[in-house]
Amino acid sequence: MQTNPNFFKSIFNGRNAVIAIPYIWLLLLFLLPFIYVLKISFAETIYARPPYSSLLIWGDSWLPSIKASFDNYLFLFSDSLYIKAYLSSLKIAFISTILTLIIGYSIAYSVARAPTRWRGILLMLVILPFWTSFLIRVYAWIGILKTEGLLNLALMSIGIIEQPLMIMNTDLAVYIGIVYSYLPFMILPLYANLEKMDMSLLEAAADLGCRPFKAFWTVTVPLSLSGIIAGCFLVFIPVMGEFVIPDLLGGSETLMIGKVLWTEFFYNRDWPVASAVAILLLAILVVPIMLYQRSQEKAIS
Amino acid sequence: MSETIKVSPWLDSSHKPYIQIQNVTKRFGEFTAIDNLTLDIYKNEFFSLLGPSGCGKTTLLRMLAGFEKITNGKILLDGEDISEIPPHLRPINMMFQSYALFPHMTVEKNIAFGLKQDNLPANEINQRVEEMLELVELTDFANRKPNQLSGGQSQRVALARSLAKRPKLLLLDEPLGALDKRLREQTQFELMDIQEKLEVTFVIVTHDQEEAMTVSSRIGVMDSGNLVQVATPAEIYEAPINKDVADFIGDVNILKGIYKGQNEVGTQLFSEDSNSIVFATQEVGASVEDEMWFAIRPEKLEISKVAPSHDHNILKGTIEDIAYGGSFSTYHVKLDNGRILKAIRANRERTKEHHLTWDDEVYLQWAPHSAVVLLS
Repeated sequence: MQTNPNFFKSIFNGRNAVIAIPYIWLLLLFLLPFIYVLKISFAETIYARPPYSSLLIWGDSWLPSIKASFDNYLFLFSDSLYIKAYLSSLKIAFISTILTLIIGYSIAYSVARAPTRWRGILLMLVILPFWTSFLIRVYAWIGILKTEGLLNLALMSIGIIEQPLMIMNTDLAVYIGIVYSYLPFMILPLYANLEKMDMSLLEAAADLGCRPFKAFWTVTVPLSLSGIIAGCFLVFIPVMGEFVIPDLLGGSETLMIGKVLWTEFFYNRDWPVASAVAILLLAILVVPIMLYQRSQEKAIS
Repeated sequence: MSETIKVSPWLDSSHKPYIQIQNVTKRFGEFTAIDNLTLDIYKNEFFSLLGPSGCGKTTLLRMLAGFEKITNGKILLDGEDISEIPPHLRPINMMFQSYALFPHMTVEKNIAFGLKQDNLPANEINQRVEEMLELVELTDFANRKPNQLSGGQSQRVALARSLAKRPKLLLLDEPLGALDKRLREQTQFELMDIQEKLEVTFVIVTHDQEEAMTVSSRIGVMDSGNLVQVATPAEIYEAPINKDVADFIGDVNILKGIYKGQNEVGTQLFSEDSNSIVFATQEVGASVEDEMWFAIRPEKLEISKVAPSHDHNILKGTIEDIAYGGSFSTYHVKLDNGRILKAIRANRERTKEHHLTWDDEVYLQWAPHSAVVLLS
């Protein structure tokens, strides 16, 4: 049988090459690392380098025997710390998403309704913090929130409070840090959505006897739903695994799964358990990610 | 031309106007969109605001709806000053040029939207929505979303939505602008039927003079923020107040004339184009040697190859162009001095014998009562 030379030509054409690039990217930078982490999560901790056992044991036979265990996953459920950390992360991610949505929506709305010549500048101000390192911005909050920080000094000097507020190293500081850091991710999709809204729809609502406040809830909000969903997922998903903000601003009672993962990996050197924590986190996030995808597809169609 | 109301309340001083626009001015910064405009509109009228884009007609409509604040003056509805009432409290509904249908709601919900704001009981809302769907013949489309509708269907949903609250006054902003010609003509008649059936006062904004002629009880011709002429379609067409109105409404030939006084036939004007005196029945107050114009509609210019028996109101020329329109043809006749006039003749004969053709020498004549004398 002869291979048709056109067959190869038809596979290695420019179109397929362009399509292949993102797939190769995902394969190398997502799928392979994921499989690697998945593999480690089924291994055992050993004192060696790397600090985990091999999954494949080469014995006498031709085929290697597989030595995998679910112990790491079972361990996550046996110690309440992990469940609590997952639940606490969910709670923090949920509350901060709601807070970010409320603040982000009002900012996006006022930018979208600002005079056209102002919009570019206002939007620039929203994006501007990205020009500074994320880490430095979170560190800056320490300077603001700590006992003798800017906030307390300012409030005490104008006499609103006599004793400094204990915000640093509490959940409140974590919420402040998260809402501040993730606000642009909420504002941008909402702005994109609100900006293209047809203003005559609000006039039509008013014309039909609808008060401005009610028109906002019955017309503006439903029409910006795809922006709300996009913004909420863009905040919720990364906050779930957030490590830096709770580590720098949070206290000992701030429990987040990202911090637990860090501890398992660097302090306990328990790579298999750390991997299992990561895989479970991913499994928890797959649900909202899929919901997000569904809503995006719906928005497109 | 048809009239939707059989009586003429604007001629009868015992009738009270329904909408009174009193000395209204609207400025946007330095720009004056509406300049001290006064207008009365009567109940059950189908009133058209007609004018070129930028003449202020849409601004006036939006002030009636309450979307634009009045800089000066006031607007009364049924005797009540509504100038300061916000749009959601006015008993007026508007049909938007873009239709402005809520894209996230079905046809049914769009129509019910206004009724829900009044907190009517659910069964009454349903009944009213049903009525409206029947009125615009869209019962089968009740559960469609606006993006699943054609242009004509969207237009009818918008109409149904704006009529659902049974407003006393309906404002229509270029309602048929997005429809193709055939659909537009059909919809014009539907609009007239609906207006008569529901006894609603319609104020419509349009730049389409044919549309205004077809549907209106009266037309207000606007230019640069002012009303130039307010009259019935026939009056506007047959007795325009000046050259601009004559030119804006329909086709017209406007010729210059020098006033030479009155005689038993009427006004005598000297026309450079015919190099003779022309007569017009209409009397004008002017002094001899005043410059003025006379306007003749193309269908009132009689065109023929045979020289007329009389000697006045005649122009001679050659046929430069012919636009065949089926039932009639439009002839472009070039006078000896190079001016081109338009004449329309009905095509009564099927055979070619009576046909006029290119380069034919022709005579144009008109009756003294066919020309309108215009002072400006």
